[in-house]
Amino acid sequence: MLPSEETKLLESLHPLETKVLQCFSRGETLSAADIMNASGLDESRLDMAAGWLQSKGLFEVRDESVTSFVTLTETGQEYHKAGTPENRIIKALKEGKQFTVKDIIQTWGMDPSEVSSATGALKTSNVITIGKGGVLHLNEAADTKPYDALQQVIDETAGASVALSLPSLPAGKQELIQANFHKRGKSKGIFRITEKKNRVFSLTAEGKELLRLLEERGAAAEEASILTPEMLKQGTWKDKKFRAYNIALNPPRQSIGRKHPYRIFLDFVKYKFIGMGFEEMRGPLVENEFWDMDALFMPQFHPARNIHDVYFVKEPAASKKIEEPFGKRVAAAHRDGGETGSSGWRYAFDIERAKRLILRSQGTAVSARTLAIGPKIPGKYFSIARCFRYDAVDATHAPDFYQVEGIVLGEDINFTTLLGLLKLFGQEIAKATEFQFRPAYFPFTEPSVELHVKHPELGWMELGGAGLFRPEVTVPLGVDVPVIAWGLGLDRMAMVALGIQDIRDLFSRDLDFIRTKKIQLG
Amino acid sequence: MPTIDIKKRDLDSLIGRKLSVPVLEKHLMLAKAELKEYNAETGDLKIELSDSNRPDLWSAEGIARQVRIALAGKAEVYPFFKHGRKPAREIRVDMGLKTVRPYIAACTASGIRMNEDVLAQMIQSQEKLADIFGRKRSTVSIGIYELDPITFPVEYRLAEPSSVSFTPLGMEEKLNLAEILERHPKGIAYGGIVKPFPAYPVLTDGMGRALSFPPIINSREIGEVKSQTRNVLVEVTGTDMRMTILTLNILATNFYDRGADIEPVLVVYPYETEFGKRVGFPYDTSRKVTVSLSKFSSGLGEDVTLGDVKKRLSAYGHKVSAGRGGLSVVFPPYRDDIMHTVDLVEDYAISRGYDSFEAVMPRESTVGVLSSIEILSDTVRDSMVGAGFQEIMSNILCSREELEDALQGGERLVEVDNPLSLAYSVLRNCVLPSLLNVEAASSKAFYPHRVFEVGEVAVFDTAQNMGSRTDLNLAALVSHPAANFSETHSYFDVLLYYLGVDYGLEPAEHHLFTPGRCGMVVSHGVVLGFIGEVRPEALDRRQITMPCAAFEINLNKLLHLLEIK
Repeated sequence: MLPSEETKLLESLHPLETKVLQCFSRGETLSAADIMNASGLDESRLDMAAGWLQSKGLFEVRDESVTSFVTLTETGQEYHKAGTPENRIIKALKEGKQFTVKDIIQTWGMDPSEVSSATGALKTSNVITIGKGGVLHLNEAADTKPYDALQQVIDETAGASVALSLPSLPAGKQELIQANFHKRGKSKGIFRITEKKNRVFSLTAEGKELLRLLEERGAAAEEASILTPEMLKQGTWKDKKFRAYNIALNPPRQSIGRKHPYRIFLDFVKYKFIGMGFEEMRGPLVENEFWDMDALFMPQFHPARNIHDVYFVKEPAASKKIEEPFGKRVAAAHRDGGETGSSGWRYAFDIERAKRLILRSQGTAVSARTLAIGPKIPGKYFSIARCFRYDAVDATHAPDFYQVEGIVLGEDINFTTLLGLLKLFGQEIAKATEFQFRPAYFPFTEPSVELHVKHPELGWMELGGAGLFRPEVTVPLGVDVPVIAWGLGLDRMAMVALGIQDIRDLFSRDLDFIRTKKIQLG
Repeated sequence: MPTIDIKKRDLDSLIGRKLSVPVLEKHLMLAKAELKEYNAETGDLKIELSDSNRPDLWSAEGIARQVRIALAGKAEVYPFFKHGRKPAREIRVDMGLKTVRPYIAACTASGIRMNEDVLAQMIQSQEKLADIFGRKRSTVSIGIYELDPITFPVEYRLAEPSSVSFTPLGMEEKLNLAEILERHPKGIAYGGIVKPFPAYPVLTDGMGRALSFPPIINSREIGEVKSQTRNVLVEVTGTDMRMTILTLNILATNFYDRGADIEPVLVVYPYETEFGKRVGFPYDTSRKVTVSLSKFSSGLGEDVTLGDVKKRLSAYGHKVSAGRGGLSVVFPPYRDDIMHTVDLVEDYAISRGYDSFEAVMPRESTVGVLSSIEILSDTVRDSMVGAGFQEIMSNILCSREELEDALQGGERLVEVDNPLSLAYSVLRNCVLPSLLNVEAASSKAFYPHRVFEVGEVAVFDTAQNMGSRTDLNLAALVSHPAANFSETHSYFDVLLYYLGVDYGLEPAEHHLFTPGRCGMVVSHGVVLGFIGEVRPEALDRRQITMPCAAFEINLNKLLHLLEIK
């Protein structure tokens, strides 16, 4: 390594990296636990620093070995707080107290077996003798060091912020731990030895060199990692050297405030329509069959009106009334055409059926309501309405979805202006340059047309359906100018813009997915 | 709408020309049909028909006819509809049928050049007509028989379920009518149509032999159609006379197009019908419609000539004559979908081709306007995004379980009567549970989580004509280890500050929020919503292990406050 490179590297060290490097003054290879104990770093910070050091080629993970770790058992915790039974007895005797084994059991609240094994051990090691009347005496030449040593290991184990690794301890201590782990006929051990996977790290040659430089430099140059308000107030920043950052690192993730990607698409559509002079309409989620179907001249026997096509509302099952004069006029249009110049569907219209409540099955219901409340003439209207279809939910069927639809009314509305409007939609919304108009069928429009466009990415696709509302629709609702009804199928375009294949993902519950989805509106 | 299978060679032979597939696809527009699949090796075509009102197009014969007429430029004539002479064969209807299945129409077709394509089309049209147009045989069903073994007059009568037995098609043993409903697949499928009645319809021939049990199944003992059959009896029974007649007319026309001779059958009713008591079928029900040329010009937005309209309508199958002030149009007997002059305007446009019209932009200028609730929604969404919240969009149709612990005392939901699945059986009445769903699914997404949704809800409200009202709510949820009331309140407070709405918080009970840590938002005496820390019970129920605090307010109420100010 060239000296200048080394210096650069040294200056770029993050305080966390420095801390980790410095641990290696104690040994060649260290376990994660050793480093954490020595540096006071927690596991996540160690991981961070280790990752950076590894990326700089200073550090390597040697292997993941299995190491024994020492922790205290419940008994050990107790002994840490109160002392081992042996030490408590020694301490009391040193304080000059007089007592018998019986006294210990009765007044100290210790377990009889614990007391007997402690006194037994003390007797054997010539620390105490038991005199007349069972009174305990401390021997003159008593060697209590082994008991102090044990207490010390207990206290150290309790004090460690991370479990101690057994092999890292001095041999004497290891022996003491082994001896008090499930030993001496005692029912309770003091230490618990668990085996854990432990990562072992070592420095590369470059790492060692850098550590040497680090130690050489010692605390000579005061390095600052951050500029503080105090430094600026007091002017001490002048004496500081600011550590260089490794700017090649990935930044931390941020969650920012953001609109939903599908909503961004729908907003794009919404403002397209505002730009084209359309007024927004809204309607209720729960409709009756009258506005959803009857007013649209769908006969009550129409195949799309049965129990397998629409969600019916349980309670109340029907609306209280149908607004008049629309109810009567629509009934007449179905029966024999009424005032519309039509022969009608020729069947007995059931007004009670018209009151049945359903979940809105088509956005055209919103248009029907707009016609009835007296729209502007000329007028252009759109709605982005949530609709419900009776389909099993799968990758191509959502339980509820948006329909973009609307109406255009005016004296100059006819078949050629219908085609002109659809062409405009294709240009504005799908950036289409080629168009095809195909004959289509909708119960409420005549003529009806399907708009196919050539989308720059999707190729030929059906963009929507439209037509001129039948007089059987407009006349009963009190409108006497021609009306274009149109609807666009934009979910496929939305899915392409979002890069998704499953329609259910438009309403995903996965925050990660929503946060990361980008949208191309072009 | 129906999708039908046709052999390319069959279609070509019916059209009388071998068409390339791209040319065929173009011509299919005449029938509002779309080619879905084409197998070049087998010549199998799969065609989807979009017009539910044109059952005459649901067969190879029907599609071919529409194309053939266009290529020839003139309507075809079906002479068998004019049968002045007394039909040779007769069906007599029993009085009892008036309340069960009152109508029957029939004719015979002789000299059919039967082959597998013809047989396949015959079976397919029968199925599509009875299933889709006939609403699963309830309004119309069809029976086709080998003509020669049948002795006339045939009787259409009612029979006790156990009094008549025959071997139905597809079975080996003799069953009575009740047994057919129980054991035959068609009996099981369609039995519901006749079960409400004590006696069932049967057709028996002059020798008293059972021909069929309409609308369920034919007998295989007499009249079974085989590949060598040349002469058939076609009958249609139903509950709607016009639909019954139309179905027979379509079948008769199809057989005629196959080169068969159509002979009428006289049906003798004991009761009055729209077309009399003694009616010979096939019966032409089409009327003459008089249309002025201006209807075409104004509807199309283009000046058209009488000659051109006449030519285009003829090439679409109509009989057209020019008269004073306009045209007289008689539409073909296999169609009954012309209700209004607009239907003829569309026929003209289709016949001429939509691509022959100029696309003209509407000239009149209008002003783009958003509703005031949408403007408020946009403002609120912008503020929430500015405050660092991720917007969420959720389904409105959901399960009761998702909303149950959000329901306040006595609150009810708009519930679906016929759910496909309990997972989608109620409409949400608030948005917060949707955000909790997101939280429950997103414990792996890095924290903090700050999410919001402006979304529609359906509120059960018996005071409304519709039994409910649709509101727009805003809900926001904060989730991280220290998420609390105060943080959430601060976001709410700044939102309402910029909206210009002053409000107060009152201590409140709410099932989703921890008692003592929930505030009811009140402004000028109106309860707008709630703020609080989400109850651990509510989090636990959704297996959320991160503290959450949230608020939800009703934007319609907020808008009302802003508007009266």
